Amino acid sequence: MTANTGTLLAVRDLTVRFRTEDGTVLAVDQVCFEVAERELVALVGESGCGKSVTAMALTGLLPASATVSGEIGFAGQDLRRRSERRLRAIRGRDIAYVFQEPMTSLNPVLTVGHQIGEVLRRHQRMRGAAVRRRATELMELVGIPLPARRLREYPHQLSGGMRQRVMIAMALACTPKLLVADEPTTALDVTVQAGILDVLRTLSAETGTAVLLITHDLGVVADLADRVVVMYAGRVIEEADVVDLFARPGHPYTRGLLDAVPNPARHASGGPDPAAGQGLREIPGRVPVLADSPDACTFAERCTRTDDTCRTRRPELSAGPAGHPVRCWHPLAVPASSLAGGGAR
Amino acid sequence: MTPVLEVTGLVKHFGPVRAVDGVDLTVATGEVLGLVGESGSGKSTLGRCVTRLVPVTAGSVRIAGRDIARLSRRAIRPLRRQFNIVFQDPSSSLNPRLTVGDIVAEPLRQHRLGPPAQRRQRVVQMLDQVGLGGEMTRRYPHELSGGQRQRVSLARALAAAPALLVADEPTSALDVSVQASVLNLIVRLQREMGFACLFITHDLAAVEYLAQRVAVMYLGVLVEVADRVELFASPRHPYTQALLSAAPIPDPPAQRRRQRVVLTGDVPSPVAPPPGCRFHTRCPVAVERCAVDVPALRPVRPAGALVACHLVGDDGTAPVLSRPGLPVQRAAG
Amino acid sequence: MTAALETLPPPTTVAAPASWRRALRRVLRNPLSAGGLVVVVVTLAAAALADLLAPYPYDLTNFDATLQPPSLAHWFGTDELGRDQLSRVLHGLRVSVAVGVLSVGLSLLIGVPLGLLAGFYRLLDPVISRLTDTLLAFPFLVLAVGLAAILGPSLTTATIALGIGGVPLIIRVARSETLRLRELDFVAAAVADGAGDLQLMRRHILPNAVNALLVQATVSVPAAIIGEAVLSFLGLGVRPPIPSLGVMIASAQPLFRDGPWLAVIPGLAIVLLTLALNLFGDGLRDALDPRESR
Repeated sequence: MTANTGTLLAVRDLTVRFRTEDGTVLAVDQVCFEVAERELVALVGESGCGKSVTAMALTGLLPASATVSGEIGFAGQDLRRRSERRLRAIRGRDIAYVFQEPMTSLNPVLTVGHQIGEVLRRHQRMRGAAVRRRATELMELVGIPLPARRLREYPHQLSGGMRQRVMIAMALACTPKLLVADEPTTALDVTVQAGILDVLRTLSAETGTAVLLITHDLGVVADLADRVVVMYAGRVIEEADVVDLFARPGHPYTRGLLDAVPNPARHASGGPDPAAGQGLREIPGRVPVLADSPDACTFAERCTRTDDTCRTRRPELSAGPAGHPVRCWHPLAVPASSLAGGGAR
Repeated sequence: MTPVLEVTGLVKHFGPVRAVDGVDLTVATGEVLGLVGESGSGKSTLGRCVTRLVPVTAGSVRIAGRDIARLSRRAIRPLRRQFNIVFQDPSSSLNPRLTVGDIVAEPLRQHRLGPPAQRRQRVVQMLDQVGLGGEMTRRYPHELSGGQRQRVSLARALAAAPALLVADEPTSALDVSVQASVLNLIVRLQREMGFACLFITHDLAAVEYLAQRVAVMYLGVLVEVADRVELFASPRHPYTQALLSAAPIPDPPAQRRRQRVVLTGDVPSPVAPPPGCRFHTRCPVAVERCAVDVPALRPVRPAGALVACHLVGDDGTAPVLSRPGLPVQRAAG
Repeated sequence: MTAALETLPPPTTVAAPASWRRALRRVLRNPLSAGGLVVVVVTLAAAALADLLAPYPYDLTNFDATLQPPSLAHWFGTDELGRDQLSRVLHGLRVSVAVGVLSVGLSLLIGVPLGLLAGFYRLLDPVISRLTDTLLAFPFLVLAVGLAAILGPSLTTATIALGIGGVPLIIRVARSETLRLRELDFVAAAVADGAGDLQLMRRHILPNAVNALLVQATVSVPAAIIGEAVLSFLGLGVRPPIPSLGVMIASAQPLFRDGPWLAVIPGLAIVLLTLALNLFGDGLRDALDPRESR
C-alpha cells in the first residue's frame, strides 16, 4: 500500500433523482465515499445500481431532468457549488473521463493526434511542436507502439483496444488528479482488456493519478482495485479493502455476486460443480427501481436472511464482523477459513 | 454412435472476409462443446452456418448424419425440427408483436406437432421447465426482464425437443447474477432433455462451468480442441494460454500473483489472414516456420486432444508461456 | 407533388405493441401534436357529418344573396351563385379527407408488398428499385393528365392518380424497414423454427413495420389532400357541382377582388388540415420512438 496520502475526492450524501414520464426515480441515495490521492477505487454493482449516475454527477454531466443534492468535495472545493464554466475547466484538466465505447467517443473525421492535441491546446494552452511532442509522450505512456505514426491515423484505422488507449491518453493529457473510468474494458476482448488493465494499473505509479473505476466485472476489480465500494439500488452497501471484500464479504448481496461468478479456483477448492449437480448461486428477483428512499433494506425482498427489522428499518453503514462498513442488519460472519492468514496487502 | 453434429471443412466467406476458413468439429449426443474465441474469431458465424441461417461457402454440416450444407431452404425446413439456436441479445431475439405463448409455440406450429390443444399444453410445460409460470403465455416480451426473455428463448428453441441446441453467447448481455441463473438453467435443461449443445462464448469461466469439451477458435480456424479439464489445466496452444491467462479471476491475491501473457499487436483482419499460422504475428514464441507453413489441427496426446501448432509435440508437450518465476512474455510489434 | 415530402427516419429499435397507450400519452403531452390531433379529429367528424352539419345543401343557388361576405346567415359567406360557403367547405373537406385516405390506402396496398419483396429478396430488389425510381422521376402531373384523359376527370381518377403517385415513398419505407428487421435475431429465430418466407413477412416483418408505415401515412395524407386540391384546381379531378376545396379556390380566382373570402377560406381549410396532420404525424413519430422517455 502506498504511503498515506490525502483525500482527493469526498462524496457526501450524494442523491440523484430523475424526472421520467413514469414519475420520479431515485437513482442515487445518499451515497458517501472517498478516493485518496493515487488510490484506485472500484465502484461495483450491476445495472441499475446507480454507479454510472454517480460518476456522471461528479462533474455535473447529468441531464436537466436530474436533481442532484449532497456534497462533492474535490481538492478542497465543493463541485456542487461550482458554475458550469468552472466545471468545464475542471473536466478534462483535473477530473478526466474514459467511457465504455471507444468507437463512439472518438470523432471519426479527425486524426487521433488532432484529438489528443485538442485537449492540450485547450487546457494547457500548448501550441505547435510542443503539442506533438506531448501527444507522442502520452501515446507511449499508454503503450501504443509506433506512436509518431499512429498520431496521423484516424480512429477507424485503430482496433478497439488501441482506441481505448487513445481515450486514456486523452484523459491523461493534462495529468488529471482523478481519472473516472466507466466500464472501460467491458466492450473489449479479454486479451485486449488485459493490456488496458495494465495501463490503468501503472497510472498511479507513473503519473500520480487516482482512478475511480466503475465496473460490474469482479475479475477486473480483483485485478486492479485497492478499495471497493459496492452499490445496490442507489445505496452504498459495503466498502472494503479489495482483499477483505473478496475473502470476508459482509453483505449478502456481495456474497451473492461472488457466488454467481464461475470461479475456477472455487471448483478446485470445493465450489459449485455442475457435474455434481451443484449450481452457481442465483439471486432471485430483480433490482428494484425506487421512487423514494424506503425506510427498509432495499435488498430485503431478495435476501435469504431477511426478518422484520430488515423490512421496516433502513440499515446504516456500520462496521461489520470483518471490520469494514456494511449496510445490513444481519451481516455475514467471517468464514473460519479466512481468519488465518490474509489481511491487508 | 453417429455424432449429433459433424462439421467437416466448413468455410464461410462474406465476399473478401474469410470468417470461417476450414473448420472440423463434432458434437456427440448429450455433449456440451464450448466454442471459445474473441471478436473476429468467426465463432458466431460458425453457429449460424451450422444452423443454416446463412448459406455455406464450402464444407459439410451433418446433423444426425444428414448433410444440410447444400440443401435448399425449402428442403431444410422439415429438418429444422432437430436443431435450433438461442441468441445473445434479449432485446431483439423475441418478436415484440407476439405473445410469449405464440413465440414458444412457433416451432410446434411450423412442424405441425400435435393438435392445438396439445401444443398449448407443451408451451405451458416448456415455460414451467425454464422456470417461468404458465401464466406467462399471455405476456409480451417488453414486459419481461432480460433474464426472463432468455428463458423464453430457451423454451422456444427446445419446444420441439431438438437433438442439437446452438447457444450463441446466451448470457453475455445479462447482469452477473442473472447470468448465473441462465447458466444453471441450461445445465439443468441439458441434463433433463439430453440435447447436445454447441455453446459459443468468449467467457472462459462459463465454458469451464458448462462444457465437457472445449474448442478454441482464432481468426476463422480452430487452434485447439480438448477435454475441458485438460484444457484448463494444461493449455497447449500459445493462444489458448494467452486467453486463459488474460481472463482475470475474482480472487485478488491469486489474480495478482499470476504471470500473464500479454499479446501485443492487433488482431489481423479476416480479409487477409497472416500466412502460415494465423497467430504467428502475435505469438510470443513463434519461429520462422510459423510464418510459412500452416499448422494442421492434429491429434496429440492425451487422446481426443487436437492442436494446430508447430511447437506442440505429438506427445503433447507444448511451449509454456508463463510460469511463476518467469518474466511476463511480451511479443514485439 | 408527393415527392416534395421526405421519408422519415425509422425508429431504431422495435417498439412494443402495448405502447400504443404510452405513445398516445406522449402525443397528448406535446401541445403541438396534441393540437394537431384535436384539429384532425374535429375535421374528420365535421367531414363525416357534413350532411347533418351543413346549414344548406351545397348546390343550392340563391341569386338574391350572391357574393355575400361572412355573416350570421352565412358563416363563410356565399359565392357568385349564392351558394353557402360553409356547406360547401364542409362537403369539400369530406372530399379532401376521402381522397386523402383512399389514395394513401391505395399507395399502401401497392407499395407495401413491393417494398417487402424488395427488402426480402436480393434479386428482386434492383428490379423494384428501378421501378420506384422511374415512378419517382415521372412527372406526376403528366400521369394525372394521362389518367384523366383515359378515364375522364373525377374523384376516382384523382384518387387513382394520387395513389399511384404515392407508391414510391411507401415502397421506400417498406423496403428499408424490411432490410432493418431482417437482421434482427427474432427473424433468424423464426427461420430456425422452420418458418418459410411468406410466414416471415406476414408474421414477423410486417407487424413490426407498421409503426414506420403509419408515420409515413400520416405524412402522406396531407400531401394527397393538397394533391387533390391541385388536381381539382386544374380540372383534372372532381367535377362541379361537387365541391372540392381545390375547385373552390380555382373558381374564386377571378372573383378575388369582390369576394376574397371565397378563396381564402377554402385555402385556410387546406392549410389547417395539412398542418394539423403534419404536426400530429411528427408527434406520433417522436412518441413511437422507444428512446423518447423524458
